[in-house]
Amino acid sequence: MTFVHLTLLTLAKTTPLLLATLGGLLSESAGVVNFALEGMMLAGAFGGVWAAIVTGSPWAGLAAAAGAGLFIGLLHALACLSLKANPIVSSIALNLLASGLTGLLLHQVFHAYGSSPEAPTLPVLDTSFLFPRGHAPSTGLSVMDPLAILAGVAIVAWFRWSVGGLRLRACGENPQAARAAGLSVTRIRWLAVASGGLLAGAGGAALSIGELSQFVENMTQGRGYLAIAALILARWRPGGVLLAALFFGFTGALSEWCAVLWPRFPSQLFLALPYLVCLAVLTARLGRRGPPSGLLSGHQAV
Amino acid sequence: MKLKIPGLGPLMAASVAGLLFCVLFSVAMGLGPLELLKGVIQGAWGGTEEAVATLAKATPLLLTGLAVSVAYQGGLLNIGGEGQLTLGALAAATVAGKAAFLPPPLLPPLALVAGGLAGGLWALPAVWLKQRRNVHEVVSTILLNYVALYLADYLVRGPLGDGSGMGRTQELPPGAFWPVLWESGTSSLTSAPLAALGIALVAQLWLSRTAGGYEAKAAGSNPRAAANAGVSVARRQTALFAASGALAGLAGTVEILAVHHRFYAAFSPGYGFDGIAVAFLVGAVPGWLWLSGLLLASLRSADKWLQLALGVSPNAIFVIEAVLLLAVACQQGLGKGWQRTVHGLKNRLRQEES
Repeated sequence: MTFVHLTLLTLAKTTPLLLATLGGLLSESAGVVNFALEGMMLAGAFGGVWAAIVTGSPWAGLAAAAGAGLFIGLLHALACLSLKANPIVSSIALNLLASGLTGLLLHQVFHAYGSSPEAPTLPVLDTSFLFPRGHAPSTGLSVMDPLAILAGVAIVAWFRWSVGGLRLRACGENPQAARAAGLSVTRIRWLAVASGGLLAGAGGAALSIGELSQFVENMTQGRGYLAIAALILARWRPGGVLLAALFFGFTGALSEWCAVLWPRFPSQLFLALPYLVCLAVLTARLGRRGPPSGLLSGHQAV
Repeated sequence: MKLKIPGLGPLMAASVAGLLFCVLFSVAMGLGPLELLKGVIQGAWGGTEEAVATLAKATPLLLTGLAVSVAYQGGLLNIGGEGQLTLGALAAATVAGKAAFLPPPLLPPLALVAGGLAGGLWALPAVWLKQRRNVHEVVSTILLNYVALYLADYLVRGPLGDGSGMGRTQELPPGAFWPVLWESGTSSLTSAPLAALGIALVAQLWLSRTAGGYEAKAAGSNPRAAANAGVSVARRQTALFAASGALAGLAGTVEILAVHHRFYAAFSPGYGFDGIAVAFLVGAVPGWLWLSGLLLASLRSADKWLQLALGVSPNAIFVIEAVLLLAVACQQGLGKGWQRTVHGLKNRLRQEES
């Protein structure tokens, strides 16, 4: 394994996480707590495989994945915004729902327990030019990797320089003021949570028909919660989200790298590292910005 | 007439939604409308073996539900139960395993103390972060959960494992097993479910009948008013959160002493997370937790039966559990919508009459 290998592995690990974190950023910046990213990703991972197998087109799979994430997002918005549910309880229920429903459908559609049949995958970019002396890794760079980074840059720019981004953040920072300024806070929040679901669902597809080529029960393995940790580490700042996701992708890649090179070294350390770093940052009071003021305190306020 | 018992409202809403869903689901699967419901009841309570298994599953659920409820009564949401439970279980298994030279009757109490302590200590950083760094406890407990899971995984594959590399500790000495009340064939009933029920009832009495419990509830429902009335809110919340972590740790300990007799990596099928559902199903009222604990345990222990007898994927139970929890979360909103609809209909009828 060389440095180039590690870089590619980092990118592959970053992509699903980055998309989910961006989804969380949209939702939480608008003031809606979203711990349902795990469920959105899982629903997306299954929807992607299902549509890709049925239609034979991985791009249809990607669209279906985004749709599945959107579905969970709409449920979350319905529960939290229209029915005044506690967003944390709603998130936990939706994560359960996604886990149960994908397993159930796996059995109903493919008559399988555990994992789905092979699905067509999204195109893989040719990376062999990076390895002039051969030894190219078996898994190349999925087309999702550059797409995710593009999405990230676009969202950062949108947050910074567009009126829409400003309105979204206004709903999260001070919903009363946003409402007084004539914005429909509830509508903006609905849109934010729904498009967050879209992104997290696409993140699931990056996992199931990008990195792998099948659905495995509960294959997200806590990546949705890792995305929340990335959001915390980034202090809910759009630019920080890119760096945090990249950093967590790097620790994930390191843990695999390390398991191959030094099998005796505890690779759990790298897996726990994102959470430890987050706790350290919170303890040391690094970064002046906290979560959006409307978050976690007054979800019933508006 | 309006009969109001605190805690039963959510359960009623969830039951109605759950029953409706089960009927719809059965029909959608091409079964008779009541087949799924019958399957759950048969799978969980159809025979002695099933009933004993269900009671055993209800025990950790009752305790993790109590862990969430106790913190929630003090105004804190502890979603770190899974990590506290795992570390509690590992501490209990390790202490009981290393202290095998002690007289056997001492082992279970020692393990319980170790498990409770480990769980309680793992909850404390979250309170400290809340009080000193203004970090919401939900955020910190999520982070602590994963640190605990990876830490336990490392410890049980390394220094605390049995050397097999399979991710488990040595089997406990038989003296540390939870005493068996009754045995028949392969199934044995321990007194653990009764002990858990006892703890929940004591917590209920403490909350509703003592000054300490009253202060805790005051600190939870209106911290500022409580502080003005002379309650030390910070100290109350710290104690409640530590107790909450200790209860989750006890849930893991009981599971080790009564069921597994050793610690396995990832032995918990999410009991810590399920505690949130158990607690919210009955509005975090400790006295009713046995009901919601039994309900979720019934679902959990019916999964094999659904698969074998009805050909339904065992994942169906997670979907049912999610529907129950969603109904609870949306209960107030749904109730208001219902009232508004009824009100609107009444008004329209009245207008048409006049």
